[in-house]
Amino acid sequence: MDPAGSKLEFIATFEKTAAPGEFREFDARLRFDPDKPAGSRLDVTVKVTSADMNVADVNKEIRGKDWFDYAAFPRAEFRSTELRRIEGNRYVARGTLLLKGVKQLVEVPFSWTPSAGGAVMEGEVTVKRGAFAIGTGEWAESDVIGADVKVKFKVKLRKAG
Amino acid sequence: MLRNTADSWGAPAKLFHWLMAALILAQIALGLMAAGWRVSPAKLELFFWHKSTGTLILALVALRLLWRLANPTPLLPPGMAAWERAAARLSHLLLYALMIALPVTGWIVNSASNVPFRIFWLIPLPAIVAPDEPTADLAAGVHGGLAALLALVLVAHIAAALRHHFVKRNTVLTRMLPWRTS
Repeated sequence: MDPAGSKLEFIATFEKTAAPGEFREFDARLRFDPDKPAGSRLDVTVKVTSADMNVADVNKEIRGKDWFDYAAFPRAEFRSTELRRIEGNRYVARGTLLLKGVKQLVEVPFSWTPSAGGAVMEGEVTVKRGAFAIGTGEWAESDVIGADVKVKFKVKLRKAG
Repeated sequence: MLRNTADSWGAPAKLFHWLMAALILAQIALGLMAAGWRVSPAKLELFFWHKSTGTLILALVALRLLWRLANPTPLLPPGMAAWERAAARLSHLLLYALMIALPVTGWIVNSASNVPFRIFWLIPLPAIVAPDEPTADLAAGVHGGLAALLALVLVAHIAAALRHHFVKRNTVLTRMLPWRTS
């Protein structure tokens, strides 16, 4: 993966207004044949502690137990179990997302754009923060901080070997 | 009567006065509660209402000033000492200045701290300064100081109105009451 050309964003909502954030450090590894996606595999590792929500006070808060709990769960992972083509250059990766110690099956749609020496994967998926215990206790209520979090990614891959 | 005259306030001027009086008192309460509350959804909710109300006040004060400039201002009663006239002018000037400066410094705090915000969930508030923590802290300090000054001027304003009514026995207070026509 080429970190300079890649971005992993998560967009929460605060009082029904988008509150964007980003995991500054993550890595994606892919074994993929666009024409035969069946044997493919996608592994993504995210350094949760690199989360940045652009507001100093918010960045302090999200470290805590109610949110990402950096001390106990510094990393998140996605491991695909199946990749398939939807149509054209659009695919979907089915797999397990491990975040804050919770494993959930998710389907991540993405587009595949080959480029010189590699390719760009782009897509987005909406997850429920409650499913991963992100925002517990009084924060579990979704009136102020919405239940849905949109995860958006652009991954620039270089052909290995 | 809509327009002000030399000795009476018209209905729009009274509406501006009492509507903004209610909003400003609510705003001070919201601001104190928001600042003091422990970090929780309730604190964020309080800030949301404080910011929304502040933006509304800023919009209203702009309209109010236009209305005031387009109308005669009722004269102060005869027989006031020079210092009393000066104090009345200064306190009114300060009230208007603070009705602008408080929302503007609050807006700077919101912009500098980079918190996404839509006024009453509707209109995104554009940033007026770049995100910067020291700027946010400084503006928050100024905002708090100005709020304290506003509280003092409000006390003086209310005390002066009561003094006009009960001590000097003139119409300064009664002519602003909503149910009096003149």
